[in-house]
Amino acid sequence: MALQDLCNFQDIFQDSLTKLCFLGTFEKNTACDYVSSLSTRSSTSLFNFYIPAAEYLDESPIQFGQISNIQSSSAISSQESILSPSSLPTSLPFASSQSVPLPFPMSHGTTTLAFMFQGGVLAAADTRSSCSGLVACPASQKILPIHSHLVGTTSGTSADCALWKRILARELRLYQLRHGRRLSTRGAAKLLSHMLHPFKGTELCVAATLCGWDGGEVDDGCHAGTVIDLRGRGGTTKSEMTDQEKYLDTLNEKVSLPETQSSTFSEQYFARKKVSFSGPGLFYVCSDGTRLQGTLFSVGSGSPYAYSILDQGVRWGLTVDEATSIAREAVYRATYRDAYSGNCVDIYHITSNGWTRRTREDLKEEYYREKERRRHEGRGRQDVTVSE
Amino acid sequence: MALFEVSGFKPYSELRGQIFPAKQTHLVDRTSHYSFGTKIQEFAVPLGVEPTGFLKSCSSDGGVNIEMNHGTTTLAFKFRHGVIVAVDSRASAGNYLASTDANKVIEINPYLLGTMSGSAADCQHWERLLAKECRLYKLRNNHRISVAAASKLLSNMMLGYRGMGLSMGSMICGWDKNGPGLYYVDDNGTRLPGRMFSTGCGNSYAYGVVDSGYKEDMTVEEAYELGRRGIAHATHRDAYSGGVVNMYHMQEDGWIKVCKEDVSQLIHRYRKGMF
Repeated sequence: MALQDLCNFQDIFQDSLTKLCFLGTFEKNTACDYVSSLSTRSSTSLFNFYIPAAEYLDESPIQFGQISNIQSSSAISSQESILSPSSLPTSLPFASSQSVPLPFPMSHGTTTLAFMFQGGVLAAADTRSSCSGLVACPASQKILPIHSHLVGTTSGTSADCALWKRILARELRLYQLRHGRRLSTRGAAKLLSHMLHPFKGTELCVAATLCGWDGGEVDDGCHAGTVIDLRGRGGTTKSEMTDQEKYLDTLNEKVSLPETQSSTFSEQYFARKKVSFSGPGLFYVCSDGTRLQGTLFSVGSGSPYAYSILDQGVRWGLTVDEATSIAREAVYRATYRDAYSGNCVDIYHITSNGWTRRTREDLKEEYYREKERRRHEGRGRQDVTVSE
Repeated sequence: MALFEVSGFKPYSELRGQIFPAKQTHLVDRTSHYSFGTKIQEFAVPLGVEPTGFLKSCSSDGGVNIEMNHGTTTLAFKFRHGVIVAVDSRASAGNYLASTDANKVIEINPYLLGTMSGSAADCQHWERLLAKECRLYKLRNNHRISVAAASKLLSNMMLGYRGMGLSMGSMICGWDKNGPGLYYVDDNGTRLPGRMFSTGCGNSYAYGVVDSGYKEDMTVEEAYELGRRGIAHATHRDAYSGGVVNMYHMQEDGWIKVCKEDVSQLIHRYRKGMF
């Protein structure tokens, strides 16, 4: 995607788009291209986002069930019967081509949480992706690594979150290449917030907490350890890995000259000495413009249930194991009561060495364990007679 | 319609004409004709606009948006040694705090308690009415009313006015010959027996805490602590809950009031060493 923007793919896409209007059919790969064309070209130029014109939508509705109530051509009505007739929210009027109607009803059901403690930052989330009553995916990933020392939890619309995380990862990488150091968590939060600002008031919904570890970039830049920094420890998704490898290959020639770089780094370091900060960072960024720094956040429909558990147990002086068990318990309690959270729990731990990921645990096991425990306690109760 | 004739049902207007002299029917005090379970089945409503229609126009579809929020947190759970009831004490009117020391538990009789959440006026009125009916039951039948029956009375009262804008979420807790009893009664007429309930807009915070710490064989002190923690953490996160924790313990020989503790001090104690 980054490559497409750099080589001006958008021009080619617009040509193919006009061709498709005449054909009136959509295939899967072109739907993906439609999404990709919305990404930014570069951080320096204005954001160029392709907004489809209303007439274009009248001619060829997107295949995944979009129905609009302003349809003039008869071809559409025949296609509507083929498309899924699920109930949809009232689509937005086509008078202006500013907004695109939602293809299907979205709901924002999830539980994600993140908190800081002496051992770094811990982020946890459930894995259920729901679509107003249907569990669309019981094994989705709601915590997306952005780079080796930054992880973002996602809540809201899955597609929006995934897209904007990738855009953020690309922008952070470009920053690192241009300035020779990683952007701090605070800076990343600000960048994401400013990137989302043009969409305020639209249907975009992204509520993310960025958890990262800042600092120490100066020393790392001097060594060939830069190469290692780009990879996260532990498991990671394949797509992220290939992206990072791609960056590595293009970068190798730069890294091979550590000595000349170190001198410039130290100059830069002294110039910027007064603003250097090292340690964990936790920020909450929302597509309505909120950007908050904090030590404990929980986002999503299951967040109230998780908040009370976290308020009880989270302290600065926790050990890593205690923190993990509190995070697990909080997500479990949220999945216990909230219908839109469930299935498994993912836990990521961010330290100065980067992020590590625990193996995904199915909360069904925890539910059965608890049920057994209650049953044992209940058996004891039968011995106690209730006098009348 | 056939059933009307068979059961001798007469519409209220006809009946009223028989009971009262002509031309005086409009002077009848219509709000005190509760006769639950007796022959005349009628519910008194205010004269004038039909309530259900009026309320529909107040929802967001009609352009106006009057939201009835249940700003409180109450919780109750059964355990081996009885029922614990814990409530906060904040009464809010929109963004204004009308009272920080409201009493949200009504002591119906020494063996029955009712909690209140939702509209304070509705809760207080209907639960006092329930208290009156429970007393009348005891006088007529020479034994105390069961928790199931008391909650059924309240639920029937709610059903009579269903859709007319009542707002009440209550838990009826007691100890009768079947042991400890806990029922949740709602303004929709919902009536659910259960082991643990929490009502009000802070209920989700309380659920997390109580679910996590609940054990069937808790000691009494542990149960008190769990109830306190549930309310305290809910008031910490929910803007519409606060004040003090009023806690009651329903035992076999009646209820006792356990404590009345300020939530800010509780939170200070719990979160010591947090950050």
